[in-house]
Amino acid sequence: MRDHQLAGVFIELADTLVDEFDLIDFLYRLTVRCVDLLGVAAAGLLLADQRGALQVVAASTERTRLLELLQLQTDQGPCPECFHSGQPVAVPDLRTAADRWPAFVAEARQIGFASVHAVPMRLRSEVIGALNLFDTRAGALHGDTIQLGQALADVATVGLLQARAINRRDTLTEQLQTALNSRVLIEQAKGVLAERRHLDMEQSFTLLRSEARKTNRRLSELARAVVDGSATL
Amino acid sequence: MCAGNAATMSGDREIRIWLRIVEQALGGPVSLAHVCAAAAATVGVDGAGLTVVVTPTVRETVSATDAVAADLEELQLTLGQGPCMDTFTRGGPVLAGDLRSSEFFARWPVFAPAALDAGARAVFALPLHIGAISLGVLDLYRARPGGLDSKELADALAFADVAGMLLLDRTASAAPAGAELAWQHDNASAHQAVVHQATGMILVQLGISAEAAFARLRAYAYAHDRRLSDVARDVVGRRLRFEPDALPEPP
Repeated sequence: MRDHQLAGVFIELADTLVDEFDLIDFLYRLTVRCVDLLGVAAAGLLLADQRGALQVVAASTERTRLLELLQLQTDQGPCPECFHSGQPVAVPDLRTAADRWPAFVAEARQIGFASVHAVPMRLRSEVIGALNLFDTRAGALHGDTIQLGQALADVATVGLLQARAINRRDTLTEQLQTALNSRVLIEQAKGVLAERRHLDMEQSFTLLRSEARKTNRRLSELARAVVDGSATL
Repeated sequence: MCAGNAATMSGDREIRIWLRIVEQALGGPVSLAHVCAAAAATVGVDGAGLTVVVTPTVRETVSATDAVAADLEELQLTLGQGPCMDTFTRGGPVLAGDLRSSEFFARWPVFAPAALDAGARAVFALPLHIGAISLGVLDLYRARPGGLDSKELADALAFADVAGMLLLDRTASAAPAGAELAWQHDNASAHQAVVHQATGMILVQLGISAEAAFARLRAYAYAHDRRLSDVARDVVGRRLRFEPDALPEPP
């Protein structure tokens, strides 16, 4: 089962080499794969915005509460710690971390999470972001699972760089900033659809994504069209 | 979480950058020219220029710190080529550490030699955008080759943030006096998903552009002395609606 799913990830990775590659959709699918493959309840990816803060770029569900929990880690939580140390961070029992990250732990527990892990997104000596893994059960993830999580985080890095552009440091900056703005674009489009179609934010994302697939457009392109009114979903 | 934000690296940077801009303004109201001058002085570049989006197809240079910066803006607008122009199609910053390299010559066959003639060797274009809201581009140049290091880049991005917020308030005429300071205190929440979702909802409620919707959201937060993210959460939670031609009632 796991082998089959892993093969799927690599097929998706191969897609990053084509011109119509949709980075945001790829990162979203990667977080969903994390949930399936690693047996966790939710996963989220944060990228360093180069101003010194981490920003959410993808999550396995688009529920606003999960996005907000992820974003709470601007300055506290396992992701910033993982980002600064470049090492995985394991919190098998969130209750033990209440003193360290009070707001983060309170919010995570309220949503129903009991444990959290973070693995770094690395590019050579540089850490460019972190992958967050949440579970509703307490307990440390197995070493193999962490390793697989690290492999998936590395896949996310490769996706971000689209392999061919890996040589120039400036390109990393350009890609990071573009990805982060695409994420903002998608939030705006979710809002438009939520209001127009009376949907919640997760349903809005699902609608946006299915329309993008149906019409073969990038998520961020379609989101822009939804916001400027040239696409009416 | 509010208390913690001031202690972050990015919070310190915003305060430092804001002080540099205020210094340029000599105590008067802050303008885009002050942002350009402060950016040129702080980031370690030789000059800065700012082009704004008037309509999706019309762009206009509003500020330049010197003749070279002015030439760079004009060249790009006239030739329709260059890093500033590429930010519109690519959606992210375009950083050209050496215009003489074959990569950039191939990319901008007309602009690159013209920019070199004008006296620029490196050009960095930083878009002022918030998702679909495209306000303009901050261009920085160096007479000598060399990329921005990570601190210079972070500063440059922070200057672009300030320029974007000033432009948003100016074009929407929505912010009361002191709004820039309010934004400085509340900048962290400007990055939250819920703020952008609320912008999308207000856009539909009022039948206006994303830019105007975001400005209305911010104006409401200032007017009611509330955090941007809290107001946005009320909009997304459908406890607050914006009605055309009237300020909404508090929930």
